Amino acid sequence: MGEKSKVYIVCCNRLLRESIARILSKKTDFNIVAAQAPGSTSREEIIESGADALILDSLEFLLEDPSAPSGVCALGRALRCLLVAMEDDHSRFLRAIRCGARGYVLQDASAVDVVSAIRTVVDGEAVCPPHYARVLFDYVACQAVDHPTDRRPSQWGLTRRERQLVPLIGQGLSNKEIASQLSLSEQTVKNHIHRMLQKVGVPDRLSVFEACRSERSAADTKDGGYLV
Amino acid sequence: MKAIRVLVANRPRLMRELVIATISDQPDIEIVGEIPEESGIESAVEQTQPDFLIVALDRQDRLPEFCQGILQNHPQIKIIAIASDRNSTVFYWASLRVQSNQIEASEAGVLNALRGIAQPTARLQ
Repeated sequence: MGEKSKVYIVCCNRLLRESIARILSKKTDFNIVAAQAPGSTSREEIIESGADALILDSLEFLLEDPSAPSGVCALGRALRCLLVAMEDDHSRFLRAIRCGARGYVLQDASAVDVVSAIRTVVDGEAVCPPHYARVLFDYVACQAVDHPTDRRPSQWGLTRRERQLVPLIGQGLSNKEIASQLSLSEQTVKNHIHRMLQKVGVPDRLSVFEACRSERSAADTKDGGYLV
Repeated sequence: MKAIRVLVANRPRLMRELVIATISDQPDIEIVGEIPEESGIESAVEQTQPDFLIVALDRQDRLPEFCQGILQNHPQIKIIAIASDRNSTVFYWASLRVQSNQIEASEAGVLNALRGIAQPTARLQ
């Protein structure tokens, strides 16, 4: 039998912490290094324990790094962190990834899912609920404006933020949903879209998306890029 | 010895399964049912007549009202209400009237309450 994976549990919820420890203690491939409340342990202690994985039920433990912002991901990078029993909240999921989390398990998951997610993270893979894959795709699509080929100035003079809105409009998201994804207020999104309509000179938001897509396709063809 | 019969009706699913995993290890405690939705709790209580109901709801502010409702119809059972996000657990029971008290929100706290070891001091509600 191979070496046991060392797991460090830091959960605010005591019942959750104790139950996860109990379940893992019955598995032959895990060794519980410690099961602590966030206030009873430190990042140094966790790193020094040599744990292979850190199980958390709160993102705050990763965020509350005194050396933040530069060290905000220090623990996340040093260890394979898995967040469990999380609320269904896309923005927290994306924040967790930025903090270095390798796994995200929702509170509606099963106990079997948790054990399987821990194994996945320990093996160096990442894990999230299947429907969160779309959130990741959307997020990467939003960031596409940072890609060098997208730094070409738009013929309509759209700002960087306005161009970030384009793929989200194309996905048919409402102003509220776009606001939530970009951490903006709904009114700000409304204002951006209003200005975009004026700049592009089209009557509705979907026409903005179509116009931008045509512009990008034309530019990609000119540059010898691929059309998808 | 007669096993302590427990109905588990926790939301969310993960907490429910973890609580069941904990209780299943105890030789003197028997799980008589697992209810995923609040709407099924009342009929499951009728059907299984458990000694204890362990419950957590999506809207945890509704727990006191919910527990009182159950105890009015089934005064023989005792309820362990878990507020998972606040790390607190409340024990409800009815004698002449519905009473409740905080218990330790831990495995030991829940198991002791089930076994009547930590029978709380009554605080009238």
